[in-house]
Amino acid sequence: MKSIFYTRFFILLPWILIVIIVIDIDTKRLSVRNTASFYLSRLGNVQQRQVVRTTRTSSSSTTASSSGRNATSLPVIYAITPTYSRAVQKAELTRLANTFRQVPQFHWIVVEDANSHTELVSRFLARCGVRYTHLNVFTPRRFKRTGMPRATEQRNLALGWIRGHRGSKDKGVVFFADDDNTYSLELFEEMRSTRRVSVWPVGLVGGRRYERPLVEKGKVVGWYTGWKADRPFAIDMAGFAVNLQVILSNPRALFKRRGAKPGMQESDFLKQITKVEDLEPKAKNCTQVLVWHTRTEKVNLGNEPKRQQDSVFIEV
Amino acid sequence: MRMRLKLKTVFVLYFMVSLFGLLYALMQLGQRCDCRDHEQSKDQQISQLKGELQKLQEHIKTSELSKKTDVPRIYVITPTYARLVQKAELTRLSHTFLHVPQLHWIVVEDAPQQTQLVSDFLSASGLTYTHLNKLTPKERKLQEGDPNWLKPRGAEQRNEGLRWLRWMGSTVHGKEAAALEEAVVYFADDDNTYSLQLFEEMRYTYRVSVWPVGLVGGMKFERPVVEDGKVVRFHTGWRPNRPFPIDMAGFAVSLRLVLTNKEALFDGDAQMGFLESSFLQHLVTMDDLEPKADLCTKVLVWHTRTEKPKMKREEALLKQGMGSDPDVEV
Repeated sequence: MKSIFYTRFFILLPWILIVIIVIDIDTKRLSVRNTASFYLSRLGNVQQRQVVRTTRTSSSSTTASSSGRNATSLPVIYAITPTYSRAVQKAELTRLANTFRQVPQFHWIVVEDANSHTELVSRFLARCGVRYTHLNVFTPRRFKRTGMPRATEQRNLALGWIRGHRGSKDKGVVFFADDDNTYSLELFEEMRSTRRVSVWPVGLVGGRRYERPLVEKGKVVGWYTGWKADRPFAIDMAGFAVNLQVILSNPRALFKRRGAKPGMQESDFLKQITKVEDLEPKAKNCTQVLVWHTRTEKVNLGNEPKRQQDSVFIEV
Repeated sequence: MRMRLKLKTVFVLYFMVSLFGLLYALMQLGQRCDCRDHEQSKDQQISQLKGELQKLQEHIKTSELSKKTDVPRIYVITPTYARLVQKAELTRLSHTFLHVPQLHWIVVEDAPQQTQLVSDFLSASGLTYTHLNKLTPKERKLQEGDPNWLKPRGAEQRNEGLRWLRWMGSTVHGKEAAALEEAVVYFADDDNTYSLQLFEEMRYTYRVSVWPVGLVGGMKFERPVVEDGKVVRFHTGWRPNRPFPIDMAGFAVSLRLVLTNKEALFDGDAQMGFLESSFLQHLVTMDDLEPKADLCTKVLVWHTRTEKPKMKREEALLKQGMGSDPDVEV
């Protein structure tokens, strides 16, 4: 009896192994098929693009069609926008989206200062018409005191996302766009050609009409600013852009939180990735103001009823 | 005995080989390489699909824009005056208007003549526009340090916009005149925030349409209250007894109504908060108001205001003769 049992067990064992191996091979074949279908779909894409080009060429002007062709090779502009919940948040994001929607090859990275994605921002982004990534990280309360830098954790999280999701074959430019500034459309075309780090003037910042890099013979030689002019990079967050590959090749470059002195965030970051002599001046050798450091007044809610008076909930 | 030993050895070897084979197979199954390939292809598929979706959306937008040459026209009257943030405000306002088909922007400067900054800005904006100017009389002008609510701002400029519309309405003929029958007039201040959906809501205004406005009157929002499709009262925090307790950004008027009621103007001497009523009372009664924005339950426009920029450093440096270059336009 025992010998019969053992005999049957040993006869069945190799068959079980064979079945398992065959299943494994089938799995590999499936992955091979996925790869093949991926390439095939890419081919389909190429065909579709050709169709689209034909349509554009027939229906629009030469300029449009040429820009359409260039669009596939244009570097992508990644705009990092930290935001936090307040009365004017949706309004600010709305007009920011109205601007960004007109920039081709644009990727909006919105980082909320919150423990999770808020419904307001999630719903807003889903309908804003801009390609986006929605992230969130909460700033510890001890870093929210007056005078402390804002949005440090949010910008660093966005940099982390870029480093984790983009590779050496991607072409792009990274720009830090706060949610209450004003950006002209020209600015984005200026920064798109950034090879390493480019700079330009910023209006209405630092207690002055504008701040700007001083340029001689196409090189940055100093800083025109009214505040801490001795900073190595005396520039506002809205006054520079970084090539995507520079961000990827300096994986440890982050905005400092601990021990950061007021106004040194930009310098501490740029010091890790470039030198003053390597900066690329934009906006006609830094003589044009294409971005403004505007701020929206705090909202007066003095007449807001204590209890919910309106029977309908209305998102503002 | 020897035979037994040999047979046992064979069985032991067989068992060990089978065990190793099984382990190898399990390891093969457990390898993450396959999972990574699978996940990667998934991620790539997702991003690829997103890209396709975006292209399709752009295609739809293009076709929609080209189709929308026969929709009613929207005339937007924007009063503006020279100040540090003027160009920034006009810039982001123009970014909104660029999305709106059949929009005609009437910019009225509070100035003795049209300034170079606004002229250059408008010609570069890519929008259809009319550039006007009308100086506010000195006695009606806000002085330095006056609170912004002391005198109504922009009344003269809005009236100048209306005057131009009436002149334009009396000079066009044929198809143009027919198009004007359906056109709409909206008063957009240069520092408010407008969503694109707002313009589609107001485009089909028969007489006067109304909607909620966010962040105004000391409230999160002000809005007309609608019952059975009609405006019956207003949810507002300030002077609810006004004939039309509504913000300038909260209504649009049919151009036909403006052309046929030539006496309808904004009263520059109206007391605080009554500027809108002084214009609307010539045109409609509350019963005739058309509620928009989902029966006035959605906020599509916000009464934002931009802080005055601090210029302490500039003043200090000016005293030292090192002020910023006046030739650099800000």
